[in-house]
Amino acid sequence: MSAIEFRGVSKRFGNFYANRNLSFQVKTGTIHGLIGENGAGKSTAMKALFGIYPLDEGEILVQGKPAKIRNPVQAMKFGIGMVHQHFMLAGTETVLDNIILGHEPGWIWIKRDQALSELKKISSLYGLHFEKWDHPVSSLSVGEQQRVEILKLLYQRSDVLILDEPTAVLTPQEAKELFQNLKKLKDEGKTIILISHKLKEVLEFTDAITVMRRGESVGTKVTADTNEDELAQMMVGRPVSFTYQGERKMFANASDMKPVVRVRDLSIESLTEPVKKVSFELRPGEILGVAGVQGNGQSELLRYLTDPKKFNKSAHGEYFFQGQDASGLGPLEIRAKGMGLVPEDRLSEGLLLQQDMTENFLLGQHQDSRYQKNGLLLRKKATEAVNAKIKEFDIRPPFTTVWSGRMSGGNQQKLVIARALDSNPSVLYVAHPTRGVDVGAIEKIHDAIVQERNRGKAILLFSSELDELMDLCDRMLVFFNGEIRSEYKRSEFDTWSIGRVMGGGDR
Amino acid sequence: MKSVMNASLKSFLKSAAGAMLGFLIGLIICKLAGESPLKVLKVLYQSSFGTGYDFGMTLFYTAPLILTGLAVAIPFKAGLFNIGAEGQLTIGALAAAWAGVLGAHLQSPAIAIGFAFILSFLAGGVWGAIPGYLKAKRGSHEVITTIMLNFIAAGATAYFTLYSIKDPDSSQAETIPIPSVFHLKPFQIFNGAPMGELIFVLIGIVLLLHFILWNSVWGYELKAIGENERAAETYGISKQKVWLSSMFVAGGIAGLVGVVEVLGNAHRFKIGFSADYGFVGIAVALVARGNILGILPSAFLFGILQKGAGSLDLETDKVTRDLSYIIQGLIILGVASEGIWDSLKLIRRKKNA
Repeated sequence: MSAIEFRGVSKRFGNFYANRNLSFQVKTGTIHGLIGENGAGKSTAMKALFGIYPLDEGEILVQGKPAKIRNPVQAMKFGIGMVHQHFMLAGTETVLDNIILGHEPGWIWIKRDQALSELKKISSLYGLHFEKWDHPVSSLSVGEQQRVEILKLLYQRSDVLILDEPTAVLTPQEAKELFQNLKKLKDEGKTIILISHKLKEVLEFTDAITVMRRGESVGTKVTADTNEDELAQMMVGRPVSFTYQGERKMFANASDMKPVVRVRDLSIESLTEPVKKVSFELRPGEILGVAGVQGNGQSELLRYLTDPKKFNKSAHGEYFFQGQDASGLGPLEIRAKGMGLVPEDRLSEGLLLQQDMTENFLLGQHQDSRYQKNGLLLRKKATEAVNAKIKEFDIRPPFTTVWSGRMSGGNQQKLVIARALDSNPSVLYVAHPTRGVDVGAIEKIHDAIVQERNRGKAILLFSSELDELMDLCDRMLVFFNGEIRSEYKRSEFDTWSIGRVMGGGDR
Repeated sequence: MKSVMNASLKSFLKSAAGAMLGFLIGLIICKLAGESPLKVLKVLYQSSFGTGYDFGMTLFYTAPLILTGLAVAIPFKAGLFNIGAEGQLTIGALAAAWAGVLGAHLQSPAIAIGFAFILSFLAGGVWGAIPGYLKAKRGSHEVITTIMLNFIAAGATAYFTLYSIKDPDSSQAETIPIPSVFHLKPFQIFNGAPMGELIFVLIGIVLLLHFILWNSVWGYELKAIGENERAAETYGISKQKVWLSSMFVAGGIAGLVGVVEVLGNAHRFKIGFSADYGFVGIAVALVARGNILGILPSAFLFGILQKGAGSLDLETDKVTRDLSYIIQGLIILGVASEGIWDSLKLIRRKKNA
């Protein structure tokens, strides 16, 4: 018996098929993985199921019967619930109120007691230990907020739970807990659809996997019968290697080169993420990694390095860029001295989502003499440059007039990187270059970073993916609690040792 | 560039269709009130285009709305909501009258008028820059501060009118008349309606601002801050600078209403001369959907309705000037109801499927 079945579903946007003749089945009481590169149509398919997009062709069957779902409220009536990648919670309201929102018991007055006792029953039935019913949602950790979203679906009596990239925001521990909870839900008969592009977790926790590519289903596999290589090949349509295969040029005397960035005894006062007495040097031709669990000072450090002027009251210490004191400079001034930036979060810090590629390309370069003259922008030149970048980085869709908000994560990131490299900077600050980026684009991005290193650029690479750092870096700094706890040379890289230091332990 | 033009054309057509829809509903209301819609249309047409004088008056009502529409639309690009055009134009108008006092000795009309232009712009600009400064330095919300500055502007201009440059020969609350060298000449064909070459200057200002906002680095920074403040700051754009400068320019442009009124019409500052131009400007900007060129047709439409309001009182039996305000409201609703287009699209798609 299948809980959900897609039969020949197509969804068009203009001439573009986001889903084309998509067919697959999800068996009741299983965890079903839905994987594919960014832009493969996973989210579109789930939005169609959830009634957000009307179907152009085909039909969706729920519990074996054709279901016409026109909006999310109807989807809920069919027992379908979704946890979105960005949570839909009201931060200042209590957990209880967030959960019962839209389904409040009572007529004039809300019977919160009744709702609470029901929720307690639900949470003990499914083994989701949760106590903080009267806390405001904003005081909860991300993992807890996600559990609130799941409880909300259970409260609405959803039988099919869709989770869109649920681990993108979680720590490894939280992710592990999430999957344990999902397993309990499965044991109680719930059906779970897991959208992801992390192959490892899909392989570990699902029963079956449907792979999508270019809006179509490439096939559904029983998880036990497949492996990482096969899935990746299905996703991308060709064999993929997971470690960087390109050439690393050897710089025999890298350690003798004059550092282009020198930071000494840098401390930043901050309530959430202080930095304490950090010192390091960055030399041409090397990739220096910054590892650490998020929130241990790396983000503050990056913000300081790109805009020290903003920290003139809260930061102390030396910051030399190209041999000159940079501690009082703003972003444009440091950029003019040769900095390229790939910010932590491209959506909130890197892009103007409702502007086209040219406008986005100009961001930060709008005062560059190549793209403006006497205060007037030279858009034609910028558009020409973007067209060249589109070819060089294989950015899709290949039109400069596309809004950046309509591009997939990988292509957005390629645009951000292309922009950072455009001024031929000698120093690159790169943060989380492949976060939320599909497998195909990851290779391209890694390749671009190593190529820049081979050309003699100095690169400071921030990442929460230890594998990525170990793959690309020449040296690595490990942050804990605002300090650099340890430094590793490439020959000393060791997952377990670095992991221990990241957690506050010894090497 | 091409798609940008297409997008703004599309947005213009949507606005026009929304305005038509609002207008139609207004005419249905006439019918329900027992007045022939055709007659109402005829009255509105006659009143705004009937004679040279009528057309001149329509343009005279349109002129301030062009300026206040811009004063709302420009900061809106930077993500600011300027409710203070009313106060900015009041200060600008007082400054224009004051230019007449300060420049009483001037002989050349060009210099005199230029002087009044600059003074109005600067006065309105400084008034507009105050909320920009408060937001940049203290984080005060511009909606609150601009509204409060409207009241302060009304009080302050009343004080100066009554105690500093009051016309001793008048029993009204008005300033000393400006010398005739400051007067703007109206066109002959307008038969006494107070509008002349100034209307071309205003159209020129709109075109210039459109050019600047689209092509200049300043315009780019404005747009970037308005669209994504955090990204813009990460890439070195100062929001403080953008807020301050956009509010200064907006206030200055609203201040030029002083030139229209004082130099073109009353030749002095009268307390309460503005027919809520600052607030109607919000509607003008809204109907133009923040498109700078769209301000021109939008302001003209509201000019027609303002001009026609009086005639509805006189020439129809069943409806009054209030109908004009109802239609104004319906037009705003029609333009603002973005959802209509989505549901129309949906219906069309279903039919095709």
